[in-house]
This record gives sequence, C-alpha cells and structure tokens, in this order.
Amino acid sequence: MSPRLARIGLFVAAASAPVVFVLVPIAAFLIMSFWRVETSQLVPDMTVANYAAFFASDTYPRVFIETLQLCAIVAVIGVALGYPIAYLIWRQHGRLRYVLLLLFAIPLFMSYIVKIYTMRSILGLQGFLNQGLVTLGILDQPSLLFIYNRLAILLTMAVIFLPFAILPIYLSLERIPRSLVHASADLGGAPLASFRYVILPLSAPGTIVGALFVFVLALGDFITPQMVGGPSGFTIGRVIWSQFGLAFNWPFGAAMASLLLLVAFVVISLAALIARRQRV
Amino acid sequence: MATRGERIFDIFLWLLAGLVFVVLYAPVAISALFSIVEVRRGDILWETATLEWYARLWQNQSIMDAIRLTLVVGATSVVLSAMLAVALALYVTREDALGRRFIELAVYLPFLLPPIVTGLALLMFFSQVGVSRGAVAVIIGHGAFVLAVIYRLVVTRLQSLPASLVEASSDLGATRWQTFRHVLWPQIAPAVVTGSILALALSFDETLITSFLAGNEMTLPIRLWAMMRVGFTPEINALVTVVLLVSIALTIVIGLRLRAGGRE
Repeated sequence: MSPRLARIGLFVAAASAPVVFVLVPIAAFLIMSFWRVETSQLVPDMTVANYAAFFASDTYPRVFIETLQLCAIVAVIGVALGYPIAYLIWRQHGRLRYVLLLLFAIPLFMSYIVKIYTMRSILGLQGFLNQGLVTLGILDQPSLLFIYNRLAILLTMAVIFLPFAILPIYLSLERIPRSLVHASADLGGAPLASFRYVILPLSAPGTIVGALFVFVLALGDFITPQMVGGPSGFTIGRVIWSQFGLAFNWPFGAAMASLLLLVAFVVISLAALIARRQRV
Repeated sequence: MATRGERIFDIFLWLLAGLVFVVLYAPVAISALFSIVEVRRGDILWETATLEWYARLWQNQSIMDAIRLTLVVGATSVVLSAMLAVALALYVTREDALGRRFIELAVYLPFLLPPIVTGLALLMFFSQVGVSRGAVAVIIGHGAFVLAVIYRLVVTRLQSLPASLVEASSDLGATRWQTFRHVLWPQIAPAVVTGSILALALSFDETLITSFLAGNEMTLPIRLWAMMRVGFTPEINALVTVVLLVSIALTIVIGLRLRAGGRE
C-alpha cells in the first residue's frame, strides 16, 4: 500500500465514528425536514411545505421571535449578574479565590430537573417568594404573577444558566496579565480608570462569548417552559417537542429545529470567531 | 489604600454574590428541607420532622431501576467515549493527520449544539436505521455528547508533550504500541481520568437529549421529570438531596484534579 493510501485509510478509520454518530444524524434530520407525514406515516419527499407552513402560520414565527427575545434577556441577565461575581472572584487571592470559583462552578453540575422543581416551589402560588412578600406586607395575598407565564420561564432560566456565564467571564479576566493592571495603577490610573480602559476592554470578548453561550443553552431548553411556562408560556423548543408527542409531525418538528439550528450555528460561529481573535 | 467608594463597591459585590449564592444553592436547601419536614401552604411544620424517608428510599423499585440504568448508561458511554477520545486525540496530533478540523468539528458539535437538535437528529437517524428508543440509543447519545470533554482534555495534554519523547522511544527500538503503552499513556492517563469523571457527571444529569431517546427506559432525570408533574413526595426529596450531595462531591473532585493538572 502506498503511503498516500495509508494516510487516507487512517483518516477514514479515525473519522468513521464521529461521522456515523454525529454528522450523518444531523444530515438525516436536515433531510427529514423536507419529508411529510401522511396518515401517521413518514413519507420521504423533497418538499418545502414544512418551512412554508411555518412562515405562513400566525403563531409560529411570533413564538420564534419571542423565544429569541427571551433568550437574549436571559443572556443579558447572565452577564449583568455574572460579570460582577466573576470580577469579585478574580480580585481575590490564593485559596479564597479558588474556593469562590468552585462554589460558583458546583451549581453547573446540580440536577437540571431539580433546579426547575426548586424554582417552581419558590415561584409558585404557595411558594416561598409569595409567602415572603405576603409576610412583608408587599402583597395582600399570594399571586400567580411569578408562575406559569413568561416571567417564570425567564427567572428560572436566568437562575439555571447563570453559572454558565460566570465561568467564561472569569477565564477572560484571568487571562489579563496582572502586570498590565499594576502598570495602569502605577501610572496613576484611578481604579475606575483602570477598570474602564484596561480590564473591561480586555474581558469584553470573553463576556460576549459567555452571553452567547447562555443564549444557545436557553434556546434549546424545552423542559423549563413546559414546567413553569403554563399555557401562555410557549417557546419554539416547546413547540418542537410537542411535534414528537401528541402532534406527531416529525418533519415539521425537524423543519422548526433546522431553523433553530441555523440560529444556534450563527451564534456559535460568532462566539468561536471572538474567542479566536482574543487569543491572538 | 482603598477609598470609601471602593469599600462600598466591594460590600455591594459581596452582597450580590451572597444573594446569588443563596439562590443557586436553594435546590439543596429546599430538597433537604422537604425531605425532613412537611411543608403545607408555605408553612414549615417542624413537628413532622423525620429521617424516615431516607430509610425508605431503597424500597422504591422504579427509582432504584432508574438509578441503576443511569449508572449503567453513564459507565458504558463514558468508557466507550474515553477510548474513542484517546484514539482521535492520538490521530489528530500525528504530523500527517488529514482533516483535523473536520474531525474536531464532528467531535465538538454535539456538545455545542442545542441538545434539542442533537436529540432530534439521533432520534430520526435511529428510527431510520432500526435502533429503537431505549438504553442503547441513550448510551450512544450520551457518548456523542460527552466525547468533546474527554477529547479536549486529552488533546491539550498530548500537545503539551515534547515531540522528542516519542522520537526517543522509537529510536530506542520501541514499537508503536510499546511507545503508547509505556511513554504516552502514563502522560495522558490523568487527563483521561479527569475527563471521564467530568463526562460521568454530565451523563448523570443529561436530560434533554435523553428525553428523545429513552422511550420507556427511564434514567433518573427522566424519571424525576415524570414525577415532577404530580409533585415530589418526601421520599423523592430525600433521594434528590442524596443525588445533589453526590454531584457536589464529584464536582469538588473534578475541581481539585483540574487544579492539580494545571499546576504541573
């Protein structure tokens, strides 16, 4: 066997598993978005009817846009709360810094379902938030303000995905050479000026990556909206999921998921681009 | 010297961090509370306090089945993924490797894409090639999902090794296998172990991809999701408390290992 053939053979062997278990399924699902369903049977076809039905509908495009807005707000909350916390951790030294970092990383691995359940018992009609507000006299009686609506989805997602924002922001802060911060102080820069002209610009790319990361995570979540969103809190993830249960329209679900994939792909590419630039 | 303004700002930061800490750790506190006492209409009935639920936990058959399946899925998918990750990492770090970026793209995609897309894609693929929903489908799904994590750690470790290590080994007459077994493996083993623990923690909690692939064979998160619709019993809260404490312990182990690895 020639060396060239051997090289190609080795590549085929190495690439086979990722291709079969990742790329082929993704291709299969993109293809299925052009199929149709007839009397509960999948029919292979090449029709854009699923996409046409999506854009012609009164509700789905609106739900899609609203989902993007919701995820954007969750990402903004993630950065608004995550940045100060990451900054606080970064300012500490030695063991304290490490312990703080670990404390805010641990929730990443706490059960996702249990987090949703906990948020439900905090936000619910008989929940701790309502009890607290009634006790404080802010509310006369427990209200449904915080549960089974969009606000509930927003708050729950913000809590679940916040730790995912803290970590990338912290990592981008950590990459700033200490000498730069000291130099800025030595040159007479007030702490605020150092922050404004040194720390903030240098940590901005990592912060944006963190926000994009949270955005994609929120975009694909369909269990949170289902469990705390109530009848009004629909997101595109929840609509897609329903196509695989009662509605049984896989091709339509695949078409909507393809649009979601497109958005996710753009966002991830953007994040990768920013991350690569930062390293240069 | 810190000015007055800075001190106030610092206090504000600590208060914010404290508040967020309380919210993030509420799941542990609330599960532990509900597992010990009864809570009715937001009032905690302290007189009902008991640890009985922890003892009864082991008698719930459906929960024990779910835990067993979760552990089997986790162990199988992580072992398969770790082997594949090492093979791929060895391949892409070869000088004559073809399609490096192509392989990395395929490895990272399931980790980066929204899980709803990964889950759906695998479900549709499996339905066409005749793999039914169940344990096997879930194992492949988890394997694809956690591969990126182990791969990343192993590749980083391999790239940090001097090329002279392998050259010296082959100059001394070692075969490829001997070089791997006695030179490379001892160097990458810690990364494989750390990656595998991380992967296990991810697999243990994976819910969204699993929800498409599990069918009637429920892993623990899927079982908990089904139970959430009717509300958790004190028994489930006892279980959840144990699970959360285990995952916290696991995260601390990962954190310590990553820190030790970074120091080398």
